[in-house]
Amino acid sequence: MRNFEHLQATSIAGAVAALTRFGGKARLNAGGTDLFGLLKDQYLPGFPDSIINIKGIQGLDAIGEERGTVTVGALAKLSELSRSHLLAERFPALVQAAGAVASPQIRNVATVGGNLCQDVRCAYYRYPSHVGGAIGCARKGNGPCLAVRGDNRYHAVLGGRKCYAVCPSDTAVALAALDASLVVAGPEGERRIGVAEFYTPLGNRLERGEMVVRIEIPTSSLPHQRFAKFALRRPIDFAIVSVAVAASVTDGVCTEARIALGAVAPGPVRAGEAESFLRGKRLTPEHATRAAELALSGAKPLSRNGYKVAIAKTLVKRALLGEAAGGAGEYADVGLDR
Amino acid sequence: MAKEYRYIGKKVPRRDAVDIVTGAVNYLDDLRMAKLLYGKVLRSPHPHALIKNIDKSRAEKLEGVKAVLTWEDVPDWRGGTPGMTRILDRKVRFVGDAVALVAATTEEIALAALRLIDVEYEVLPAVLDIEEAIKPGAPLVYDEFEGNIVPPEFPLFGPGCLTGVSMGDVAQGFDEADVVVEGTCGYQNLPNAIPPEPPGVIALWEEPQRVTIWASTQAPAVDRMILAGVIGWEVDLKVLGHPVGGSFGTKIVVWQLESFACALSKASGMPVKMVLSKEEHLATFVLRPESRMNAKVGMKRDGTVTAVSGTWLVGTGNHSTTTQAQIAVGCGEIQLMTRCRNWDLKSAIVCTNRNASGSVRGFGGQELKCAFVPILCLAMEKLGIDPLDFIKKNFIKPGDGYFWRDGSWYQYRGIDYSPAMDQGAERFGWRDKWRGWLRPSSVNGPLRRGVGVGVHGNADIGEDVSEAYLRLTTDGTATLFSCVTEHGTGQRSNYLKMIAEVLGLPLEKISISPSDSTITPFDFGPVGSRGTYAIGSAAIAAAEDARRKLLELAAPLLDAGVEDLDTEDGMIFVKADPDRCLPWIAVGHDRTILGYGRFEPDFTLANCMTTFVEVEVDTETGKVTLLEVVNATDAGKIIDPPGLEGQLNGCLGAAGIDSALFEETIVDRGTGRILNANLLDYKWRTFAELPVIKNVVLESAISSHRFRAVGVGEVSTAAGPTAILMAVSNAIGVWLVEYPVTPERVLAALNRVAGGPQGGAA
Repeated sequence: MRNFEHLQATSIAGAVAALTRFGGKARLNAGGTDLFGLLKDQYLPGFPDSIINIKGIQGLDAIGEERGTVTVGALAKLSELSRSHLLAERFPALVQAAGAVASPQIRNVATVGGNLCQDVRCAYYRYPSHVGGAIGCARKGNGPCLAVRGDNRYHAVLGGRKCYAVCPSDTAVALAALDASLVVAGPEGERRIGVAEFYTPLGNRLERGEMVVRIEIPTSSLPHQRFAKFALRRPIDFAIVSVAVAASVTDGVCTEARIALGAVAPGPVRAGEAESFLRGKRLTPEHATRAAELALSGAKPLSRNGYKVAIAKTLVKRALLGEAAGGAGEYADVGLDR
Repeated sequence: MAKEYRYIGKKVPRRDAVDIVTGAVNYLDDLRMAKLLYGKVLRSPHPHALIKNIDKSRAEKLEGVKAVLTWEDVPDWRGGTPGMTRILDRKVRFVGDAVALVAATTEEIALAALRLIDVEYEVLPAVLDIEEAIKPGAPLVYDEFEGNIVPPEFPLFGPGCLTGVSMGDVAQGFDEADVVVEGTCGYQNLPNAIPPEPPGVIALWEEPQRVTIWASTQAPAVDRMILAGVIGWEVDLKVLGHPVGGSFGTKIVVWQLESFACALSKASGMPVKMVLSKEEHLATFVLRPESRMNAKVGMKRDGTVTAVSGTWLVGTGNHSTTTQAQIAVGCGEIQLMTRCRNWDLKSAIVCTNRNASGSVRGFGGQELKCAFVPILCLAMEKLGIDPLDFIKKNFIKPGDGYFWRDGSWYQYRGIDYSPAMDQGAERFGWRDKWRGWLRPSSVNGPLRRGVGVGVHGNADIGEDVSEAYLRLTTDGTATLFSCVTEHGTGQRSNYLKMIAEVLGLPLEKISISPSDSTITPFDFGPVGSRGTYAIGSAAIAAAEDARRKLLELAAPLLDAGVEDLDTEDGMIFVKADPDRCLPWIAVGHDRTILGYGRFEPDFTLANCMTTFVEVEVDTETGKVTLLEVVNATDAGKIIDPPGLEGQLNGCLGAAGIDSALFEETIVDRGTGRILNANLLDYKWRTFAELPVIKNVVLESAISSHRFRAVGVGEVSTAAGPTAILMAVSNAIGVWLVEYPVTPERVLAALNRVAGGPQGGAA
């Protein structure tokens, strides 16, 4: 690791001011679980001049409810989300997603804000500098996306453009299905961005000097919720595909359904066509299968990731039917945080 | 022996257990010394390139930098088999190949200096695939190796070194067969054994030509031999072995890192420590050779194999020290599991622009069988032969013979392992679960279960030479001098148990020397499964020799013959009249007694592991879950029950069973870079996902040494991968012939993947 200036932020304003002052050459440190990989492997051009510790900002880890909206502070630990009674009651899919991240140890350190803002896992992008030098690519603005013609087994099947890395966040998928927004603070004050709109093929919508400060989730009555994650191993792995479903069902008929797909695109993807199809339908295996087909109808797999489409369809179908995701998929080891 | 053992077969705490769990053990990276420098390597971004120009002047000016070396500066030291690979060369041959070396007063300075070295490359076309590499016109990794074919000789094994299996008349054999099948299968996913401790070394070069190496190596005497071959036999070289944080066969070929440290120490005059980062460990250290086989097998209805012919392509990467030896041992091992009179099996070693290969547990046999057994299975399927019946029929039986690594014919004098196979089958419920080839044992909606069985045996349990000294001090203590490092198996503690039985001493009265090549005799080290029989025999012989010398000194004092005497707890007594006794010290307080033991290679015994697995396949996601493993073996007398259990439970990771499930090193075909050189992306089983493991261990009297034991450590991983392929194929009803069985491959086999080309060889 190389030397850097370490700053202690005690307020949002202070953190924003520091970010602005370093003009893009500073990094926020909350849990640090993703940041330290960057500092050690140095896969990005340049090295941060400053690390701004935001762990000391008071109150930024609060989870509460006010006037039909649940707010989750960006510094709330993933284990705090997965243990929250309020969230468990209102948004079980989010609790399941938070509990599906990494391992208990990491969830005790990693924050939900960091989980949402973490960098992509593309192996070309993250190739460590000390074994032959980092790899230039579209996301870094200095080369083509090597995954297109290379090993793209974990890359996007939907919505890739220039860069085919996928959003690795589990909580983003649940939050997208819950219609959540991110409150972003910056030099110009606060603004809101829908979670599903937060991600872009080359990064996210944070402008220079901005940081995510909290999540707002509208309280709605979609009691049937499920988060499903498919990964090669249960703990400490990123999703190959994940799915979050939130639905309300009256007398066996679906009155509303929201479906978000994860790890298949640069951000979580809402399956609008499938959601419309399900409205007014019974949640039968046939309808669930049809909805799964519709959810993936726009998929354009690369040379080696067509299998992700098959897995995604299975996960959508099973999540709608309330079945276990199967294999290592079932929202990981949720419960270990309790 | 009617007498009950005090320690053998009993649970006894390992000598180093408390130190390991409390962090008191000094591993290589814990060592500190005055003026220690830290060495780092500048690594190539290209899989194949010439260095047109290299400018180190800026790096040399950085404060704290004590040496910067490029190919133009280093001695002409060469390693590999044959010795073609310069420690730094004008040509780089894989991504991560060493371009320059830096030694500095801190790691940070050394890393900063690497960034100040300017290199201009002429990029050459690279070849990464072994079948591409042997095509005419393929880029040559070494100009000297025409067609990228590496010479097959391994000098240590002599002129007869096996490069294949050739005997009988295969044409006639195929005529006699009821079915002849032909197929191709590869074990090319480069599963990495990844010991927790990365390779590391400290080297101190003192003029003139005196070198001390502190090394994390599995076998210091062998390490010394290999390194001397690189830096010159004229160098006064001593190797100090240390506790090793896991090796799994990999920390035998560590000469490259050691030679870097030697060169930097020679240039700086100070000790230089080099420890690979985890990423360097995964991306640049030696890997298991790739194995790809096209073979034809003739089989009779009763499971008799009438002929085997084929070609075994072995991918060695940019070089290797041990691939030829792995082929020789593998060719021996394939005969242990396939009793057949007619063979025409040839091998070819192919070099490519990826990491060097090295020794890894399974040493040739695992590589060969993983590629060969799926082809055997095709024949079994055609004839409806239960693979358990096949294994029982075809695994070596007393009186059978085989060519072993040196090309000599050996007659097997060990036991029939069928009883262990039967008991394993019973424990597993094989007869209930086996429903025939390509048939699941149960179906539950999209979930299908399948079973498989594999076998592995190795006559390496008695390979190579071990020597030991045993020093008795007449105060009633003993010290074993052995050049064996502790690399996780607990064997150093086991030798003390054996010696305690021979000398009748309490265990706490016996100690063991450091594995220092200047004070210990030669030992090939705990490689393969030779620790129990080969090394154990040397330790036992040294103890017996010392005991005899002790009794010879005591005999006149007790007025008795040596044969009439025995010793227990530091007392020497007349067996017929135990009251006539003397303490050891009676032979002289100023006397040291030294016993010497030597084990000569014996290739007439083999161990055997049969592994049964049950998997569940989710046919809608392609996920394969390992539900249960039963390992069945016969270890002879068990020396250390918990140690054995640890070995058997280690069947999964470290490139064992999991190399068929998800372990793989992903080499990017476009750039030659390894894309998963970290423990997140290199999938590695965690404790949260252990399947049920049951071990069946028989204790037959095997004619090894006085305790009638053989080692089974290495083979615990090797039987499993083929069993997994078999089980998954049976579960889904489609043959899978590539490792590992990822969701991608399973879904492709089930035709559930739309779009582009899927699966296939990695």
